[in-house]
Formats: sequence, structure tokens, C-alpha cells
Amino acid sequence: MATKEEIINGLKTAIVNGDEEAAAKWAKEAIAAGLDAYELVTKYGGEAMAIVNQKYEKKEYFVPEVLCAANALNVAVDILTPYMKVDKTTVPATVVLGVVEGDIHDIGKNLVKIMLSAAGFNVIDLGKDVPLQKFLEKAKEVKADVVGMSALMSTTMPGMKKVISMFQEAGVRNKVKVIVGGGPVTEEWALSIGADARPHDASAAVGVVKQLVEKLRSERGESW
Amino acid sequence: MGEMTPKKRALLCLTGNKKKADRVSCFDVLTTATVDQMMAVNAPFPEANRDPELCFRLAAAAWEIIGLEGFKLPFDLCIEAEALGCKLNWGRIDRQPSVETHAFNDLKDLKIPENIIEKGRFPLKHGVEERLRRVYGDYLPIANQVTGPFTVAGHIFGIEKFLIWTKKRPLEEIKEALMLIADMNVADCKEALRRGADVICIADPSATSDILSPQFFRDVMVPVYQSMAKRLGAPIVLHICGNATSYLPYVADTGFDAFSVDTQVNIAFAKQVLGDKMAVVGGVPTISALLFGTPQVVKKAAVDAIAMGVDALMPSCGIPPRTPTENFKAMVEAARCMVYV
Repeated sequence: MATKEEIINGLKTAIVNGDEEAAAKWAKEAIAAGLDAYELVTKYGGEAMAIVNQKYEKKEYFVPEVLCAANALNVAVDILTPYMKVDKTTVPATVVLGVVEGDIHDIGKNLVKIMLSAAGFNVIDLGKDVPLQKFLEKAKEVKADVVGMSALMSTTMPGMKKVISMFQEAGVRNKVKVIVGGGPVTEEWALSIGADARPHDASAAVGVVKQLVEKLRSERGESW
Repeated sequence: MGEMTPKKRALLCLTGNKKKADRVSCFDVLTTATVDQMMAVNAPFPEANRDPELCFRLAAAAWEIIGLEGFKLPFDLCIEAEALGCKLNWGRIDRQPSVETHAFNDLKDLKIPENIIEKGRFPLKHGVEERLRRVYGDYLPIANQVTGPFTVAGHIFGIEKFLIWTKKRPLEEIKEALMLIADMNVADCKEALRRGADVICIADPSATSDILSPQFFRDVMVPVYQSMAKRLGAPIVLHICGNATSYLPYVADTGFDAFSVDTQVNIAFAKQVLGDKMAVVGGVPTISALLFGTPQVVKKAAVDAIAMGVDALMPSCGIPPRTPTENFKAMVEAARCMVYV
């Protein structure tokens, strides 16, 4: 029987290496050893993805490696979920993500989703080619803290501006922080359309969203 | 030497011989279609992507309305995926078609029919190229654009799946699939050149360094591109979106004639790395200058790019359909009144 430390390290290594089989093996060992499934996923899964994140930032990893790591994490999560005792006392911030209408390039958005989920955020993924109105509707429905929009094509970027206007017109712009991203989206342009931030990549998004949520919660009187 | 025509100029500039021309060319080998042009010649998307008459009119508008010094077909990147069985979303007037469903579940399922260039919209594209050549004679160049192997692979298999396979499957299998797609690209280009095209543009936006490592580009993409270069006897321009700076040393080995760079790549630096091996084209930012800028902003960007040594002036990426005509025209004007530097 492996020790707790061996299991944790084995699982983290499997995720970092994007090794689904090893991730499955260590997740099962963890259950057999009676380890806390919730802690494994949120703490150690998160730590493993943070390592992936750093490697991506340093250009040791590229998108294919990140996707493999996320798959390995998902395999472990699927095995561990039935054994998780969820801690209901802390309310994680909710982030609504989507690729704006007309754009079907969702790798960037998916990376942000992977990183934010691993960091403990409650991520609502609207998918790609999302009708602009949907961002506002969903944000209201789930009382979102942050809305993230992505576009890879210069042709679809103007949709982001429209979504921000919709929040303004509905009088709810101060209820959320807005981040935007995608290849052609510059920080200058992001700020010019009234977005709060343009994280330079998926890994940077985690820190940016944490800061924005803190700021939002300190300045926002009433939530939705 | 005879009169300097836009075609002669373009061919000189795209092959790194701009000093033999009178000035840099302003031939946009990426997308040319904008809503303004569609309205002006009554050939809107999505119909202009499917109807030969409307397609011809919209392609010709690049010269007739904007003054771009050549023609380019098609207006979207989905012809290959469509011919291989993907379903498309046809978009609307200000939105290019996009791929909606994938065609193959596994690398091993990929089969390219022998008569692929008779399928889908390949015949329409080649037919319009032939008509442009007939109508405009030898005065203006025609670019046949193909969607590059990596991007097509993303379309037909699903990009995330394909990216994961690049790590999980033997690299030889990945290369083999890309090579099959390259064969299709080559067949398409050969037919286009036979029907009147002068220049090939390989647009491979998904092979961007925002996604792939420079090592993968070097080890997998470069050999695939080299095989294409060897088989095509015409100037070839490669376009890759995003910050391709880390690719530059390897791009030099592709055997292509010109590299079309996005805004994130410094043109002077690209010129320095590529040296005599390849021309560097692009230079006018699609978003900050062409879409949201003014004619003055466009001209300034154009002059800066020329000063940094750009060989042919064109948008840094596909033109956003809502680009105002006055901005697009300003790019052409800038090229016309500048000599090479």
C-alpha cells in the first residue's frame, strides 16, 4: 500500500505529465487508502495545474501539453467525485466564460476555464459562438462575479464592446468585472471598450481574476 | 524591361526582388472582401462564397473598389474542410463561413478522394480564377489561397483532439496525416496555376506559436511545408497568425518565398532573421489601423512598415469585413507614393 505522500506525489506527477492512465491509477489508490477526495482534487489537483501553468508561462509547455494535463486531471476528478464531501461554507466566485458570436475558436477560452476551475472558481462555460445577449442573461441568472469573453478573430472582436454596452444599459455593469482575451485583443483596446482587464494568457487569468474578485467584493455594495 | 505592371511588381516583391521594382507592391494575398465592397458590387456574403458570378464580382472589387494590386481567392478558409465532409456555418454579410462539424474520428480514417479538387467549392474557385485571368489579362496578379495542413487537420479532426494527438500519438502518424492534406493543397494549387493564378498563399492560422512549440514547428511543419514548396513552381507566401517570432529561424527553411506576419512580429527583426532567404510581407495592423483607425493611422503604419523594410504592403491578417473603404484605400495610397527603402 502506497503512503499518502506517495499517492499525492504520484497523482500530481501524472497530471503534470498529462498521463491519464497514471492519474486513474493514483486516484483509485487514493480511494483505497481512504484519503480525502475533496482535498485531493481542490488542493493537490490545483497545485499540479499550477505547475502546468508555470511551465506554460515559461514556454516549457505549449497548448498540447496543457490539454493533456487537463485530461489527466479530469480522469482523476471523475474517479474521485463520488467520494467527495463538499465543503459548503466557502462560496467560490462565479465566472461566466464564452467565445463571442461569430467566433468558433475556443482553445484560449478552454485553457482559461481549465486554469480557473483548477484554482477553485465556479466556471460557467457558455461555449463558442455565443449570442451576445446570452452573456448578460447568464450573468444575471448565476449572479456572476466575473464575465470573460474571448475572440480569436479580429472580425468578431467588436462583439465584446457590444456586450459591455449591454451591461451598462441594463444598469448592472458595476455588478461584475469583465475580462477579455484572444489573439488580436490588445490591452489598450480592452481598456478602451470598458473591460477591466486583459490577462495576457490563460495562466495570468487566474491571478487577474482573483484580484478582480477581491476588488469587486470590496467595492460592490449589493450583489445581484 | 517594359512597363512595370502590378503583376510584375508583385512577383518581384514577393520573391525578395523589390529593388528591381519601382516600389513595394500593395497586393493583399490574405482576405480582401469587406462589407463596403459587397454593397458596392452587390455581391454579399454568404452568397458570394457559393455563387460564381457574385464570387467573381467580389474578388474583382479588390481592384475595382479598393485599388489593391491583385486578386485573391477564396474569401474563407473552409473549402478544404467542406470538400472533406465537414458541415459549415455559412455566416452572414459580415461573417466568414466557419467549420461546424468534424469529418473524421481518427487519424487512420483520413482518406482524401483522388478527385478531391472536383469536389465542393474547389471548381468554383478555379473557375473564378480563370475568369479573372481572362478579363484582366496579364496586368494584375491572382493569388490562390489554400488553408494550410495544420489548420485543415484542426477542422476535420477537431483542433483539441488533434493537439492532444501531437503528444500522444507517434509523430510519424501526425506527419503522415499532415502530408496527405499537403498533397490535397498541392493538387489544388497546381490546378489554380493551370487556370490562371500566379501566386500561392498558404494560410495556416492554427499553426500559430500561441499554440505550438517552435520545436514542433521545426520538426513537423517545416518538412511538410518543404514538400509543398518543392512541388509548386510559383511564388509562395506563408501566413501564420499571432506572434511567430520564435518560428522565424525555421520559417527560413521552408523553401517558401515570403512570410506574411501578424502585428506582433517586428518587421525589421523578421527582415534581419530571414535575410535574403525570404521576403517579409504585411505591416498594416488589421484592428488598430484598418478596422478602428483612420486613414492617417493606416498611412502612418504603412510608412513605418515600408521603412522597416517590408517587401509587400498588406494587412497583417485577414481583413475584418467591417473595415471602412477609406482606411483600406489609404493603405494602397501609402504604397503608391512610397519608394522602397
